[in-house]
Amino acid sequence: MINPVLLIAIPLLLAFVSILYKGYRNNLLVFGALVNAGLVLTLGKGEYLIGGFKPPFGINLVLDDYAFLGLLVINGLFLLITLMSLDKIGENATVLLVALAGLNGLLLTGDLFNLFVFLEITAITAYILSASSRQYQHSFNYLVLGTLGSGLYLFGLILLYAVFGSLNMADLSLKMATADTSQLVIPSLLIFIGLGVEVKILPFNGWVRGVYGNSDSLVGPLFSAVYAGAMLLVFGRIFAQVIPLGAYLKTLLLLLGALTLIAGELAALSKTRIREILLYSSIGQSGLIVTLFLSGLVFPAVMQLFNNILSKAVLFTVAGQMADTTGTDDAEALQGAFARHKLAGVAFTIAGLSLIGMPLFYGFVSKINLLFGVFSLDNYWLPGVILLGTVIEGTYLIRLLVKLWMPGEEGLVSHESHATKAPLEIQRARVMGIVVLSAVLLVGGLMPGMIQNNLSESGRLLDETTPVYLFDLKGGQ
Amino acid sequence: MIQYAGILLILIGIYGLLTETNLIKIIVSLNVFELGLNVFIISVGFVREGVAPILTSVNNHSGLVFVDPLPQALVLTAIVIGLGTTALGLAFARRIYMKHGTLNIEEIGGGIND
Repeated sequence: MINPVLLIAIPLLLAFVSILYKGYRNNLLVFGALVNAGLVLTLGKGEYLIGGFKPPFGINLVLDDYAFLGLLVINGLFLLITLMSLDKIGENATVLLVALAGLNGLLLTGDLFNLFVFLEITAITAYILSASSRQYQHSFNYLVLGTLGSGLYLFGLILLYAVFGSLNMADLSLKMATADTSQLVIPSLLIFIGLGVEVKILPFNGWVRGVYGNSDSLVGPLFSAVYAGAMLLVFGRIFAQVIPLGAYLKTLLLLLGALTLIAGELAALSKTRIREILLYSSIGQSGLIVTLFLSGLVFPAVMQLFNNILSKAVLFTVAGQMADTTGTDDAEALQGAFARHKLAGVAFTIAGLSLIGMPLFYGFVSKINLLFGVFSLDNYWLPGVILLGTVIEGTYLIRLLVKLWMPGEEGLVSHESHATKAPLEIQRARVMGIVVLSAVLLVGGLMPGMIQNNLSESGRLLDETTPVYLFDLKGGQ
Repeated sequence: MIQYAGILLILIGIYGLLTETNLIKIIVSLNVFELGLNVFIISVGFVREGVAPILTSVNNHSGLVFVDPLPQALVLTAIVIGLGTTALGLAFARRIYMKHGTLNIEEIGGGIND
């Protein structure tokens, strides 16, 4: 059986090799992404020891349904985005390989401190990638917030270690289940803040506007799909499966999540630049998914997460491409742009409609799933907040789509003569990539039974209240 | 007692992050914050009159009181990571200086395309 540590080791090795053989950097990157995407398909579920020390003393990698689903989507998306934007990579091939190793480590690890290390590796690659827009003050801002956040995460986990004497997630969750919840308030708040910086929860997301708002067609989809997806999956792992929250703390964090959802969507409503609309929509979606994870609805949260990242990969690729080739991504200046780029326009439209949750697209399946889950909770305000968020999201996304397809003034008959003269170019590789992604969204929406059947086993496992990952404490006996 | 020193340093670091406007001083504040964190982590493993967890000819039986070695290993990792982020932060600060000719964040401007 193949050991999943290869998913971390191979990209790291290739990253070192790519420093020695600079001429082959991009080939090595594509090779690493291909090997990783292939390896994921051959993995067997289970628990893997690193270094021979049995948990809870040693570090272990945990490959359960949750981690497997995450690895499949993250590695697949990484490969597709790399192939789509090969011409944009430039100096960053080594950084991207390290990022791939870090992202896989985040999803696989079963140890809180190991998670911190991978969090930092991933974050450092994100700082470097964000600097490719040459807007260094935003990268600096991100670096300061990110370092402070992961420092607070480290603070939280060391408090847990001081109280419970373990860093292994499975061991900790067993010990915390019987603990007094008042002991957990400060550590869980610190860990929430630490992860909140990366998953864009409201008071900690000041870096997002500068970094996402200047992203190109490589960095935009990478951040909004691959990084955001991995970080949210980590958040779900910690808060839905490891740390039990007391009733008051849970209400407070749920309120923060709901506030992020509404504030993000409202901010997106008031923007006119496409990337800004999409980045605030990302913040709103993060708020929604965090809320679902905190409510214990793991399976609907993961479905909605996949809907969000698949759609955002398409939307940010097109938006980044618009900004790269025309120098602007203002919706007004680009009106009617899809009249000349119909295929890209169709992919963009499918992704946008799927994000809102329109029928025929995968987003509908995930949205109906999460609404059933939310209405079955004993909570009277959460369904209303989520529906309100969806309405706002629908308003600005459909307004944006109409603007990009139909040039002209609002309320008047559209005419070709109003269409943009901006020299928009979309490379064939990018068009192919986004067509593949939107086809996935379309097939997922037309044949929900297929997804339901294939994921129902994992879904059942994900929704159990007990920790879902395999663990087997063998040390010290 | 040593953990209070760690928490004090963490608070000084956060105060510096909130009040300083010079990029270099912000990085220094970040380092003070990380230093406080490291001191705190070391204090978690501290045992009064404990010895280093190494069996030698002098300390040769397991009935001795040992200091917890795990926090020290964690701090070693955290220091290395802190070094990496500090170096990257300084590189960004230098690039910002080359572009804007100042290290003061109030003069750089926070607009999305500044």
